Amino acid sequence: MAIPLPRKIWQTLGAIKTGVILLILTVILAAAGTLILQRPATDPDEIQRAYSPQVLRLLDGLGLTDVFHAWWFVLLLSLVSLSIVAASIQRFPNAWRFYARPYKSPDEAFRKALPTHKLIAIKDEETALSAAERVLAKKGFHPERIVRENSFSLFGERNRISEMAVYIVHASLLLIFLGGIIDAEFGWRAFLSLTRGEQSSEVQAQNGPKHFLPFAVRCDGAGQENYADGTPKKWWSNLTVLKGGREVLHKQIVVNEPLVYGGVRFYQASYGKTGKVDKLVLTATSRQSMNPKDITLGLNETAALDPDTTVRLAEFIPDYVVGDGQVYARSNDLENPAARLVVESKKSGQAINYWLPAIPGIEQNALSPYDFQGKDVQMAYFTGLEVSHEPGQWGVWAGVLLMGLGLVVVFYLVHSRIWVVPVRDARGQLQLWIGGAANKNKDVFEQRFSDVVKQIEWELKPSQPEISQTSVAALTEK
Amino acid sequence: MARARVEQQPAAATGMTLVVMVGLGVAFLLFMAFLNVVKSGNLLNESNLLYATLIFYFGAATLYLGFGITGTPNYVRFASLATWAGLLANTGAVAHRWYEAGHPPFASIYEMLLSFVWTLAALTLIAEKKFKVKVIGTVTMPVAIVGVVLMQLLRTDVRPLVPALQSTWLHVHVTLAMLAYAACALSFALAMMFLIQDKMKTETFLAATSIFTIATYIATLTRFEKWGGLSVAAWNPEEKSEIFIAKGVRLFVVIPDLGWLLLLVLAAVSVPLVFYILWRKTNNEAHLDLANRAVFLSILLQTLALVFFIVRVRDGHYFSLDADGQFPTSLAASPFILSGLVGGIFVSLLYLLLLWRRTDLERMLPSADELDRIIYKTIAIAFPLLTLMIAAGAYWANRTWGSYWSWDPKETWAAITWLVYAGYLHMRITRGWRGRRAAYFAILGFAVVMFTFFGVTYLLPGLHAYA
Repeated sequence: MAIPLPRKIWQTLGAIKTGVILLILTVILAAAGTLILQRPATDPDEIQRAYSPQVLRLLDGLGLTDVFHAWWFVLLLSLVSLSIVAASIQRFPNAWRFYARPYKSPDEAFRKALPTHKLIAIKDEETALSAAERVLAKKGFHPERIVRENSFSLFGERNRISEMAVYIVHASLLLIFLGGIIDAEFGWRAFLSLTRGEQSSEVQAQNGPKHFLPFAVRCDGAGQENYADGTPKKWWSNLTVLKGGREVLHKQIVVNEPLVYGGVRFYQASYGKTGKVDKLVLTATSRQSMNPKDITLGLNETAALDPDTTVRLAEFIPDYVVGDGQVYARSNDLENPAARLVVESKKSGQAINYWLPAIPGIEQNALSPYDFQGKDVQMAYFTGLEVSHEPGQWGVWAGVLLMGLGLVVVFYLVHSRIWVVPVRDARGQLQLWIGGAANKNKDVFEQRFSDVVKQIEWELKPSQPEISQTSVAALTEK
Repeated sequence: MARARVEQQPAAATGMTLVVMVGLGVAFLLFMAFLNVVKSGNLLNESNLLYATLIFYFGAATLYLGFGITGTPNYVRFASLATWAGLLANTGAVAHRWYEAGHPPFASIYEMLLSFVWTLAALTLIAEKKFKVKVIGTVTMPVAIVGVVLMQLLRTDVRPLVPALQSTWLHVHVTLAMLAYAACALSFALAMMFLIQDKMKTETFLAATSIFTIATYIATLTRFEKWGGLSVAAWNPEEKSEIFIAKGVRLFVVIPDLGWLLLLVLAAVSVPLVFYILWRKTNNEAHLDLANRAVFLSILLQTLALVFFIVRVRDGHYFSLDADGQFPTSLAASPFILSGLVGGIFVSLLYLLLLWRRTDLERMLPSADELDRIIYKTIAIAFPLLTLMIAAGAYWANRTWGSYWSWDPKETWAAITWLVYAGYLHMRITRGWRGRRAAYFAILGFAVVMFTFFGVTYLLPGLHAYA
């Protein structure tokens, strides 16, 4: 009868051939993903320049312009995981039996088949076994005596955990995948830009929706330090976390040092000019009294000049140009600044646009009772924060640690076993059969095995210290 | 090994000539350098240390090659002494760099090469002393020399680290990468030696080396320009960088006639393969003999091409098809072509070494089984290192960009490298792959490593732009 289909699929999934084919496919597609320009990372114009429209349509249709997020790539990775799971489950019972119930007393067939063994002639079983026991204990094999109805023997082993190592590594890989899947499903990345004093509890995700945080983040200050040649050395931001209006956490973040709160991480990503003014310091001089007075204004802030007159900073353009009777901003750099002040009189209700500097055609500077002069300007800077929520990353890091551990066990811990059995040869002579096996690095083990055998032989020699003592005694008598 | 020594005993006396010659050469070059130092009054700076490194490695490589050809044990003794001296100077250069820059030397491709060369020399000594693989220097020291020479062409000024690079995790990541890649390089060299010991036919090596050189020249000739020119990237000597006409678009200049020469050399390096195929078809030994002669001839022509390439690139300004006026270029602007040309010569020379001295080589190398085991052991070292390297990189990326994996090309290729070696381990452990197939896997693994290290940096775009 044919094998039922689900079982067949299960067995195919667990076969090493399937695993290798899936891995090769993964490698090929991942390589394709690095050779073909990828959508989210590359500028759309650049992609259009690189490929002809037909080719691009084909690539887009196949998902080859965003390989790593295409459904078939995700499917492939899932199949790889499934294959690992299937292979591990199918092979695990055998390995577990081997691990949980070690083979301790070898029968004759096993003794014959084992390649690494040695026979030593002995006088009596007890002396020989206790000598072997001493040697094995000294070499770290933790020997135990195996008592059967009509025989007893020795079994010693090291690093049995090595038999389980492959499963540790595979489990760690699955843990990493699990973390990755959780992050792909429930994680998000967003961007938040704050200026000094500003706070926010909503962030704009890269691919669409806004996320509302159960707390707010305020920027208390941000800045940049430069090297002597002007390239940036450090960006920093002082952040405060506010929960229910209460300050719960302060932290200065720099590029490699994020703020973590409530599972959300804030990374210093960029720092730059907003093109907006933070503080403008002006000298206002009354046209009547000629009395100068310093005032400081933020955008849309109003200051009283005298009981009747107020001034408001209505506009600030860091780099202005004039065209068609309009003022435009050319860039966000503080190159050629212009400010529009509104001077109001309470009594008359008259509002005058005072331009600094005077821009012909639109300024009404002559009507103002005050003259203004710029004294100092401080621009507002924004700090760009990368915000991410990765609930699965702990799975990833745990998986990485477990894998490191597993790999050390896989490569450097050898499960080595030694059996010692007293036997009689064809002529009825008493012999000690010593056999050994290792699951890897067999050459090193053979060396160790012959060491053990030599030690046992040495222990079994008629004890030399006694002989030398008697001979010394004999010498002194004479 | 012991047998080899006995048989080579009579040659030992004459063998000293090479040692004496190399010793005199090193002394002469050091003396010339010393005169320069006296003039400038600055002894222990980085370029002097690097110069000393280069001289000692050069001496070591010559002696290792001498050993590879004649099998005189004396050569190895002096070669390791020279390697020790070079390593000392190299350590000085690394330390100087570290002190000057204030960070471990991993920030630019120059600094990475500096560290790579150091690791390579150290591993050569370890392989020699611990595993008794004495000829390994024949392969690794010339590679180290190419590394030092390439370093002379790259920009050397200590550049401040951009904020993203100021992290201990980055240093952990790069150190692990260097160690892992060096272990992969070692497994590659051992795999080659395995193929020799496994009685792979010398003719097969002939075919393989021919295909490698042909591929190199075809790849170079993709830069063939109309009317026989060769287009190479333009170079700004003041800035010590390539000239860009748009973001990511380099300016190319055309060196006239160089394309014809390279085409000629391509024909020359194809000749051995043609005769090899004829030999396979007709079984006429004369064809094989002709093929071997053609290799010798092709080396001469390849050397000629290299010399012309260097001379033409270094002198004068050339026209560009994309911009008006003439622009200079530099060897540093064409690291791939340069390494390709040098690599082709090197590989052909190694083939000749094999052809002429195969029995000596077989005597000097460990047995095939032994090599197979050592390959497995080096990969058993490389694989955990690769794993930790990727993990450290992911951890660093997570601290810097808030994402531990973003499928950027370097990451993807590191994962591919990891998968290839994982494939090797699975095949070996579960399928019992030993010997030749395992050796092929080790070679494939190293090819992927090389692509990840150089290819991705130069050919594919991504976050790892600075390394």
